[in-house]
Amino acid sequence: MATVTNWIDHLSASEVQGAIYPGVGTEGILVLIAFVIWIGWHVIASKQESEEHSKLARRRPGSNEWKSNITDG
Amino acid sequence: MTDELGALTTIFTEFYYWITVVLMFLIHVGFCMYEVGASRYKHHQHTLMKNTMLIPLVTVTWFLFGWWIYWAFPTGPGIAPSIMNESAALITDDSLFSAKWYLPNSDLMAVNLGDHISGVFWAAFLLFSWTAASIVSGAVIERITTFAFGILAIAIGSVFWSIDAAWGWHFDGWMLKILGYHDAYASGVIHAIAGGFALGILIVLGPRIGKFSSSGEPRNIGPRNPWLVAIGLFLIYTGFWGFYAACNIPIFNLGPEYGMEGVTYFTATNIYVTPTTLSGITMNFLMSLSGGLLAGYVIAKGDPFWTYSSGLAGIICASAGNDLYHPIQAMIIAMIGVVIAYKMHYWVERKFKIDDAVGAVAVHGYAGFAGLVICGFVLNGYPSSGYSVGAMWDGTTYAAINPLGMFIGALIMFFLLGMLPGWIIAKVLHGMGKLRIPREVELAGLDFDIMEAAKDDEKAVASASR
Repeated sequence: MATVTNWIDHLSASEVQGAIYPGVGTEGILVLIAFVIWIGWHVIASKQESEEHSKLARRRPGSNEWKSNITDG
Repeated sequence: MTDELGALTTIFTEFYYWITVVLMFLIHVGFCMYEVGASRYKHHQHTLMKNTMLIPLVTVTWFLFGWWIYWAFPTGPGIAPSIMNESAALITDDSLFSAKWYLPNSDLMAVNLGDHISGVFWAAFLLFSWTAASIVSGAVIERITTFAFGILAIAIGSVFWSIDAAWGWHFDGWMLKILGYHDAYASGVIHAIAGGFALGILIVLGPRIGKFSSSGEPRNIGPRNPWLVAIGLFLIYTGFWGFYAACNIPIFNLGPEYGMEGVTYFTATNIYVTPTTLSGITMNFLMSLSGGLLAGYVIAKGDPFWTYSSGLAGIICASAGNDLYHPIQAMIIAMIGVVIAYKMHYWVERKFKIDDAVGAVAVHGYAGFAGLVICGFVLNGYPSSGYSVGAMWDGTTYAAINPLGMFIGALIMFFLLGMLPGWIIAKVLHGMGKLRIPREVELAGLDFDIMEAAKDDEKAVASASR
């Protein structure tokens, strides 16, 4: 994976290569992974949120009931 | 980098933008504090998380496509040819400032020894994106789902503001060339668009339960923690310094850039590569802040929430031309913007039953819109771009700043790229049943479960003997 194994050789080359991150050339795969993570996050987070709301909505707590849950003070 | 002066200039510029990013981070801290302070106790934690999660969502999408849009869309496409390649198509060729270099798989979108600027410039623009999304966040608190807000934040932060920046902020943008659009510190490209976008959502989202009486009279749901609101707004002011600095290019030799033979002229410039000074804009920033506070205090009769917000609205209104205004002009323009924003807020609230929880549409949208229109009159005749000094590729020049062009520009920012997309996306989300939280949850409080669990934990801890 290492793009640079010797800084002296790297910086004294006639044309210094700019990209120095590991796995130069694999950017397309990394972008694909990022897309999957991004979309996947929305799917999972949305499902969690819907479940949380449905559960709470079914219980129908009163609009002042939260006041009995204040823990500080 | 092999010569010392060139290296010093590059590293200075890199560090300059990096500092602006750090300062602008405070804008987001401020928005989070402000929103939590403005929300009711039973919604605090979800309100905070909603605004916080726009950070990763907008950042990732800004990396994947937002930044590319900015560099690809200055021509429209199809509205005005680029000065770089003479084509009106998307700029994706091999030219120096092509979007091609900013695709997420480009090797310039990473640690690259050949490029010290792209990353910090990307980040500075990203922080503008967060700001645009965060403006929207405050308006919709206590009833929008986090899912819907995430989608809307991405739309404004990584798509629509990026398009408007390409059109009206990029040195090659068609709005500069055809309309003479000028918006040095983003009255329109950030504030008017975000305010308009928020208004579009609010029309579909509807007011919080209890905001309006059965006869339609609005009720005040004031900030629950005014101290947090005050600190939040002070932090936004502080971050705004970074915002202003980030809209400048710190050092540029305009002689060769404008094609003036034998002329060397180093200066700071605005985003359009026309000369200004960091010193001058600092005066204008402070005088417009002061104008906003003075007007806000009087018109809101000393109400702290509106007075603080008016300081911000004052800066926003003067921002379009704060690269050139006299400080007293900046102060007066700020005062006008605040009066318009305040009056419009209450008129729209009563007339259309719009519940803008933090006055975001007013402070950003109306003040930004007014700032663009005023700029068209006060800076009438100034060149809209540095490149209007010399002929463009086809012999024509950029239009000069003018009232009509700026008014049309304001309409584009607020309505076309702001309100309309916000309304459409909110409609789609509403149609999917994903826009608004259930009524029972809104009444009980978004944090009800968290609070109940905390109470149970506390009881258990209190009764524990070991």
